[in-house]
Amino acid sequence: MSLLSKLRETLVCLKAGRVTLPYPAQARPLPEKFRGRPIFNAAKCVGCAGCANNCPAREILVVDVCQEIRILQYLGRRCTYCGRCADVCPEKAITMSHEFETATGSIGDIRQRLELFMSTCQRCGRCFKEPSPLEQLKLKGYRFDDVQNERWILRSRAYLQSEPVVDDIKIELD
Amino acid sequence: MTARERLNQLKEKFGPAIQRADLPGDTRLFVYVEPSSLKAVCQHIFRDLDARYVISIGLDDRPVSGQFLVAHDFAFDRDHLLCSVLVYLPPDHPKVDSISDLIPGANWAEREFRDLLGIEPVGHRYPKRLVLPDGWPDGVHPLRKDVPWNQVPEGFDEEAEFKFDDPPEGCTVVPFGPFHPTLDEPAHFRLYVEGEMVRGCEYRGFMVHRGIEKLAESVLTYNDIPMMAERICGICGCVHNVAYAQAVESAVALRLPPRAEYIRTIMLEIERLHSHLLWVGLACHIVGFDTLFMQSWRIREPIMWIAEKISGNRKTYALCVIGGVRWDITPEVKAELRRLLDKLEAEWREVVAAVSKDKNIQKRTRGVGVADKTLVKNAGLIGPVARAAGADIDCRRDHPYAAYDRVDFEVITATGCDVWSRVVVRMMEVFESIRIIRQCLEKMPEGPLQTPITDELPVGRLGLSSVEAPRGESHHFVITGENNRPHRWRVRAPTYQNLQAVPMMIKDQQLADMTISLGSIDPCFSCTDRLETIDLKSGASRVWSQEELIRLVRKA
Amino acid sequence: MSLLIIILGVLANVTLVLLLAPLFQGVLRKVTAQIQSRQGPPLRQPYFDLLKLLGKEDIESGQAPAMQRFAAYLSLATVLTLAALVPMGFPAPLSGAGDVVLVIYLLTLSGICTLLAGLAAGSTYSLVGISREMMTMIALEPLLAVAIVAGAIHTGSFRLDTVLNGSVYAVGGFPWSGLILLGAMLLSFQAFVQRVPFDISEAETELMEGPLMEYSGPKLALFKYAQMAKLVIYGALFVDLFVPWGSALAFPFGWLIFWLKVCGLVLLVTLVAATHARYRIDQAIRFFASLLVVALGALILASYGY
Repeated sequence: MSLLSKLRETLVCLKAGRVTLPYPAQARPLPEKFRGRPIFNAAKCVGCAGCANNCPAREILVVDVCQEIRILQYLGRRCTYCGRCADVCPEKAITMSHEFETATGSIGDIRQRLELFMSTCQRCGRCFKEPSPLEQLKLKGYRFDDVQNERWILRSRAYLQSEPVVDDIKIELD
Repeated sequence: MTARERLNQLKEKFGPAIQRADLPGDTRLFVYVEPSSLKAVCQHIFRDLDARYVISIGLDDRPVSGQFLVAHDFAFDRDHLLCSVLVYLPPDHPKVDSISDLIPGANWAEREFRDLLGIEPVGHRYPKRLVLPDGWPDGVHPLRKDVPWNQVPEGFDEEAEFKFDDPPEGCTVVPFGPFHPTLDEPAHFRLYVEGEMVRGCEYRGFMVHRGIEKLAESVLTYNDIPMMAERICGICGCVHNVAYAQAVESAVALRLPPRAEYIRTIMLEIERLHSHLLWVGLACHIVGFDTLFMQSWRIREPIMWIAEKISGNRKTYALCVIGGVRWDITPEVKAELRRLLDKLEAEWREVVAAVSKDKNIQKRTRGVGVADKTLVKNAGLIGPVARAAGADIDCRRDHPYAAYDRVDFEVITATGCDVWSRVVVRMMEVFESIRIIRQCLEKMPEGPLQTPITDELPVGRLGLSSVEAPRGESHHFVITGENNRPHRWRVRAPTYQNLQAVPMMIKDQQLADMTISLGSIDPCFSCTDRLETIDLKSGASRVWSQEELIRLVRKA
Repeated sequence: MSLLIIILGVLANVTLVLLLAPLFQGVLRKVTAQIQSRQGPPLRQPYFDLLKLLGKEDIESGQAPAMQRFAAYLSLATVLTLAALVPMGFPAPLSGAGDVVLVIYLLTLSGICTLLAGLAAGSTYSLVGISREMMTMIALEPLLAVAIVAGAIHTGSFRLDTVLNGSVYAVGGFPWSGLILLGAMLLSFQAFVQRVPFDISEAETELMEGPLMEYSGPKLALFKYAQMAKLVIYGALFVDLFVPWGSALAFPFGWLIFWLKVCGLVLLVTLVAATHARYRIDQAIRFFASLLVVALGALILASYGY
């Protein structure tokens, strides 16, 4: 009978009690494997650009400023928090932190920029040349020497004239 | 019948019309036929051999063979065989005989390759534009290899409007969407209503088309695509992730370590649990019963927490790479999962016991949104919609993948053909999923999680994979290509087929039942619209060839 | 009663209804939330909602903005007039100004306001909504009218304070007609106060709010207030007609008991609303039609003195 089933349903509900969590008044404990914002550790990074090769959203970019300095930028705009960068990093320099409350009005808060001093050969003093592994990887990374081409995904024509989308990312080259 | 026997059967009937056949294993068959006999072959397979129609795919194969290619995929469910019938078409003005008069379910697939590739289906009864936006200029077909992925073509008219068909006599038009409180995603159903009864409808969708297939062919690489595939859909993301990985693995004959197969099975079933519980809540919300909506979502919440424990995220598990999985299931997680399943089963039993006797909900759902067995066969419906009409199809049993051939489970069917039967089918499938996960947890062997891949994947291999999503069969077609990315990747989500049957389901029904009928196929418009064109203007319009684009992005 | 007392009484009643209506709505929402295992909004939330709506920009849209304005004002005005006419624990201040037929008329008028609102919007969904509302009204209002007329038959007069005082039970022997009418009214009460399972005309998921589609800001606040107040008014009417025991005690006990009974009725409405799905219009109309037949049977019994 319908009335009985309604009573049964109500019993199910009342047995459960109240399940509303007090978030954001109280932080929720996160599991260890939680994939939040990736944090890049410049001390451990060797500049192999493996993360840049494997980011599905193309949000990690590399540029070689001069023979010994490489700049690695994590832009974080389209980052999907997939964790591939942390998977492939040979030095475990990338950790997926537990931060997920990363809403901000200024993209500079999310951007991470690493300036890396690349090793030079102890004998001749030059940076390793190809076909050493570092050089080979460098060829496949997504480079942004030229800011124009850095804009991978341009905004829809419906909204934009011809200015660059991300104009608050300034590449400081010294 | 085995695959070889089926092939011999076809060769007997059609002889010289079959130019070539590939038989990579016992479960896949690729038959290349002459264009003139394509219709006869498809008719024979669909009607005489009683196969199920899956999807039609168009492909610009000009860089490789100088021609266009059209493939029609069929499934022999009883023989555990997925079969693809392919034809090559000449590169200028490619035309192919339309099969949509034989197989009504091919309606959208043919309109789609007409829009996106310019292959004309001759004899199609309703060749209206399906996918491309209304202002798109004619003659520019995005999936062709010479059309760049990141440019708005010249002549794109932003002000163009969709031209609606005329409504039938005596009917008023009730617009439904693109903005409507019930729909989570934009779609437009133009209902022709007489009083309170719906007499017909016109559908305009593909408003959030994202260009995923074009991106996969142009920009992404093999291991990037699973992350993108996962974002085709918010609720059944893992399915697309796994189906794509499986299609590539099937194309290159890559075996997975057994532990990885079991983990994929477990995550797929966890996804099915969460999706069905979500849907039951949603269906109750549509009929105004918010209490049951809250309750089923409360019962569902621990599943999200365990998924977060295993994979790091409540929903986008980012599970697969080609050759394995990325996350392991530790013994603590195993124990917790077992406890969770016990609790879930107990609570869900109570809910099912209460709901099955509830006359109030049944009054709103019995006899509503009827899709009978003929419609299932003609339109190629799959999933709980087909099982509620008595069709006994389920990819987990018919085309086993991952670890499904090593676990026991039942396929739930009902005979009501209406929304209530679909509710019952989905509610009972929850118990089957729990059973499968328990078996996997017991049988899972130790071992590595990924197969190491040492060489580049061979080029030009075809792979098919059918995965049972919570909504039905999700079918992926992959042709491996150069530069570490596929040559063609086609995603057929289950809602793509099921949506085509909605106009027939809501005909001669009340207006109030429109939403619950639509909701009963568990529509996932993001899955349907998985090709979205991120077209952007770079200032100068220029036609980039593939080589130029590659050089550009790799400039040192 | 002197004019001053009448005016004060009207003001007191109106203020009471205006203050209590959002409180009852808050109780309804909170209890619904408890049944749904969640925390729910605080009891004062409807007050905040109304204040928020009143503070918004007053946009006029739809086909006939003047009608839109008129419908909004009329809806709250009719409900507040009813507040002055329905006895709430003490005799109604305006009871000398009209009789029971006036009450029925005003109730129907408040339903017509929704029709006017939908017409003013003029969109397909609002027109479908008002056609459902019309069908519901045609099936429902006679039910209330039959109950009141039965009471009038028993007491032999149409005066407000006589009829609205448990008059359906005012027979010599066992009040058959009264009990049958009590049952019929209980079963259809949800429809009068427009809650699930009978809130068909404003089914959010099906019709995008139906007649009230074009309303926002202060005008929506007026409509929402009218809806909340209708719960109180109908509750008071129901208690007056069918559950009069205890209200005749001296002030303040009679008054308190009256409001306790209305509270109990609101809780019953909440429970039913939280545990049912919405019915389709044809199913609902069939239900009301059968109730109407039963009520007419009770009326015939009443005219024979049972």
